[in-house]
Amino acid sequence: MRSTETSASRRSSLIRRVVFVGVAALVLLVGGGIVGLRATSHPSSGDDATRNPAAAGGNAAAAGRAQSVTVASDTAIARAQQRLRQVPGDWVTWAALGSAYLERARVTADPTYYPKAEGALDKSMSLRSRDNADALTGLGALSNARHDFSDGAKRARQALAVDPYDAEAYGVLTDALTQLGDAAGATDAVQHMLDLRPGLSAYTRASYDLELHGRIADAETLMAQALQDSVDPADIAFCRYQLGELAWQDGRIADADREYAAGVAADPAYLPLREGQAKVAAAQGQTDAALRGYAELTQVYPSPAYFLEYSDLLRSVGRTTQADAQVALAAAAQQLFTANGGNDDLTGGAVALAQGRVADAVRLASKEWQRRHFADVADALAWALHADGKDSAALTYARQAGALGARNAKYAFHLGMIELGLHNTTAARADLERAREINPNFSPVDAPVLRSELDRLGSS
Amino acid sequence: MTTRRRAVAAFCAAAGVVLAAGLTGLGPSSAVASSHREAPLTAADPAIDNTDLYAFASPDRPGYVTFIANWIPFEEPNGGPNFYPFATDAAYNIYVDSDGDAKPNATFRFTFHNIDKRGNNTFLYNNGPVTSIDDENLLFRQTYTLQSSFNGAPFKTRIANAPVAPSRVGPASMPDYQKLRDQASVTLPGGWKTFAGQADDPFFLDLRVFDLLYGGDLSEVGQDTLAGYNVNTIALQVPFHDVALNGDAKRNPVIGVWTTTDRAKVRVTGKTVPLTGQDRVQVSRLGNPLVNEVVVPAGLKDAFNSLSPDKDASIPQVVARVTDPEVPHLIESIYGIPAPATPRNDLVEIFLTGITTKANGPIKADLNSQLNNKDVRANTFRPSEMLRLNLSTPITAAPNRLGVLGGDLQGFPNGRRLTDDVVDIELQALEGAAQTGKLVDALAAGDQVDANDNPFSDSFPYVALPNTGAVNGGGGTGAGASAQGSSDGHPGESAPPSTETGALKDQGLGSVTGMALTASGTAGAAALLVGGVWWWRRRSRIGEQALIAAGASHDPHGNGDHGHPHGPDSDPTLPL
Repeated sequence: MRSTETSASRRSSLIRRVVFVGVAALVLLVGGGIVGLRATSHPSSGDDATRNPAAAGGNAAAAGRAQSVTVASDTAIARAQQRLRQVPGDWVTWAALGSAYLERARVTADPTYYPKAEGALDKSMSLRSRDNADALTGLGALSNARHDFSDGAKRARQALAVDPYDAEAYGVLTDALTQLGDAAGATDAVQHMLDLRPGLSAYTRASYDLELHGRIADAETLMAQALQDSVDPADIAFCRYQLGELAWQDGRIADADREYAAGVAADPAYLPLREGQAKVAAAQGQTDAALRGYAELTQVYPSPAYFLEYSDLLRSVGRTTQADAQVALAAAAQQLFTANGGNDDLTGGAVALAQGRVADAVRLASKEWQRRHFADVADALAWALHADGKDSAALTYARQAGALGARNAKYAFHLGMIELGLHNTTAARADLERAREINPNFSPVDAPVLRSELDRLGSS
Repeated sequence: MTTRRRAVAAFCAAAGVVLAAGLTGLGPSSAVASSHREAPLTAADPAIDNTDLYAFASPDRPGYVTFIANWIPFEEPNGGPNFYPFATDAAYNIYVDSDGDAKPNATFRFTFHNIDKRGNNTFLYNNGPVTSIDDENLLFRQTYTLQSSFNGAPFKTRIANAPVAPSRVGPASMPDYQKLRDQASVTLPGGWKTFAGQADDPFFLDLRVFDLLYGGDLSEVGQDTLAGYNVNTIALQVPFHDVALNGDAKRNPVIGVWTTTDRAKVRVTGKTVPLTGQDRVQVSRLGNPLVNEVVVPAGLKDAFNSLSPDKDASIPQVVARVTDPEVPHLIESIYGIPAPATPRNDLVEIFLTGITTKANGPIKADLNSQLNNKDVRANTFRPSEMLRLNLSTPITAAPNRLGVLGGDLQGFPNGRRLTDDVVDIELQALEGAAQTGKLVDALAAGDQVDANDNPFSDSFPYVALPNTGAVNGGGGTGAGASAQGSSDGHPGESAPPSTETGALKDQGLGSVTGMALTASGTAGAAALLVGGVWWWRRRSRIGEQALIAAGASHDPHGNGDHGHPHGPDSDPTLPL
């Protein structure tokens, strides 16, 4: 359903978005700089706008988000539903419908599609329990989306037992093994995917694998190739965002800015791009623009991670009360997520740490570590242990986080600070210098700490 | 529901905390998704997707064979902003095997390049009327390079920077699209003709026929499900002697043809290896329009796109699937028509060897196997799936849409013409199964789509011009062939039996019995039925084009013959 109207509606959605930014800014001024949770996050439920007119700005943004670009998954869902009304026994289309819901959930970050996906995939399995690789792959992807990576890997392997040439099943397996911390297994799985069906889905995963191993230039090459193969605006936005992230993590702010902007031009509804633009603005000293960006982002998408980033930026400019308020919102959002059956102790630990609940942070990060030995989890556990004064224990995990060779300023900073706590100034200086070399703007709160510690340590 | 209430309760508790901190602007909220990197999984990748292959002796140019291969299914007219470019990181290949060893003797490789003058200022495809193929108003265009390799020799470039016919934007932007088509049809030294660009999807069928596989019925047929959609076509016309074994189409008239799409192989394992080298990965393969379901078991449905033909016979599941296909059992379970006895060695001939008496198959005819080439050594012949064409079969003046089954030996499965009605071939043949002689009433009408929605041209590249109207607008597709192009094969027309007999004699097929060819038609039919499913599923794999909007549109063209399911050409017992 690509049509010339799409660009027109995209433009009008941009206009709405500009209006919304204005409204949000007004709210910030009037409300003393605090914006709460928005009333709705479900672009699919059109009646939300009437239910809470107070959040008109948020709804305008949500509406723009719904209309602007998720064209491909919308079309796929509509077509599948139409076909299934006529041929309800079509298990292939039931599986396709489930996968289309998952794509929609991914692009909109709206988990209310998960139960719909599950229903469609279960229906497919009930119609055809034997040799139904499509449904198994979809169920695996669903488990991954819900952070049940062990089950994701299991389903993917079941799908591959049915169809060893199923590239998508290898994609699900790659995602699961990556998050579980089975780096070698993940690399092997993504290589299989590349060998079966090189293209956007395989390139993006291979790029991530290279990134995790610190091969940034190669990761960018593959992500650029994925971008070249992108047709759907949401796919273009994804690739642009990742190219921006690769540049950002590598300390190339202008490159990152360019990629994020290009992504927004392709799909203004893809929210991670707004996070990218906000942190670039902060790094460029455009604090007001950055704060506005985070205010808008958290309004539209109240995720704990975004609240915490917003809080960091507020704290870095001395707005401590407002920063604490964002931490409280992060905790509320995380509580809500958990109450809905969400399972993400990595984020839970980060929230606890931000709240100063150090023991909880250690406990939650440890719990996540028991589930999966992923680098981010190792880093979070190390940093929580460091906060708890247990630098010896922290050191093991901090080293584990960097074991694959990831080029990550945050990991290096954490390792350096832990080494400093252990009075190993030589190693600390080296790792802190490495963090600065990789990306001196990696965090509005920690980057100044990095600078002052390096000043204190003097050059090597 | 319970979860939702719990969530609200939890949120209220959390909000209480927040409110106590003196915050405002809170309201009920919803959960957010877990946070980790999620990449696209079922991403649209239509540019590499083979849809159909046609191969036929050129009716207007004796001594030349035409290959037409299509990619990118379900192109909606008005598909901006980029419309439907060929992939620039893929190679599009047409292969010819003339000696029967299942490896190419000729390879034609098409690679594409973008010329994008839009910069960052505009998304527009054109900024004014496009009146010629190199019009400056055409801001995004593609060119291609055609290379060929014969018998393993290094590739030679036959033409570089050849123009691609652009996606047809509409009558205002492209007032004379025929002119653009003509300018994109290039003649090369050696008499080759080549074309790449958008065209009407020449495949015609009602996809709902295949719903019976899912327990559906055939109460609603007669709508060309592909009406109004466009594809990207690559067409190539070369002299017989360039593709016949030893350059001698008289001694060696049979060729096998298939197409692939491939991309560069990417390696991420090992730090010393560059990401890409010379190796290629085949991502799509197509010969006969009927393969993945009938030849390949369900568990290997993706395998076929990865395999090269010389591997086919070494996969035991593939052979087993050919000799005992699923569809006849399905028909039996639904309609009570007993499935033909197995093993189906007739199917082996159809799919893996070509129709020949030299492989001990049950069909007593020599039609289109490389084994019938005089210079082929039988000991190097390797069964494999490809579209096999006998170049010496005389051109049929009035092609029968049922091809070989209808007594027209120049049609499918002896190569494939644009007008061959592959779905009805299968259905009619199933009705007339040699083993039973009974009609399956529910299938008797076939899919009731007997011809393409737009007439084909009678000259290269034969395919109709791209459609311009919205697919589901119901107002016709606004395409059609060029003014000079009349249909080169009137659908539904049946050649008289005497002509067919003559054709058989011309082919040296005097020993062919009616029973034998009916059997072959039946086999082809079963194959085609599943082939259609395969076809449908292949298209359904593509994210955006995922599913057929069956029933979304009515038949805007009034395709004729729907009310005549038992026309003369549908008689399965037609004597040969």
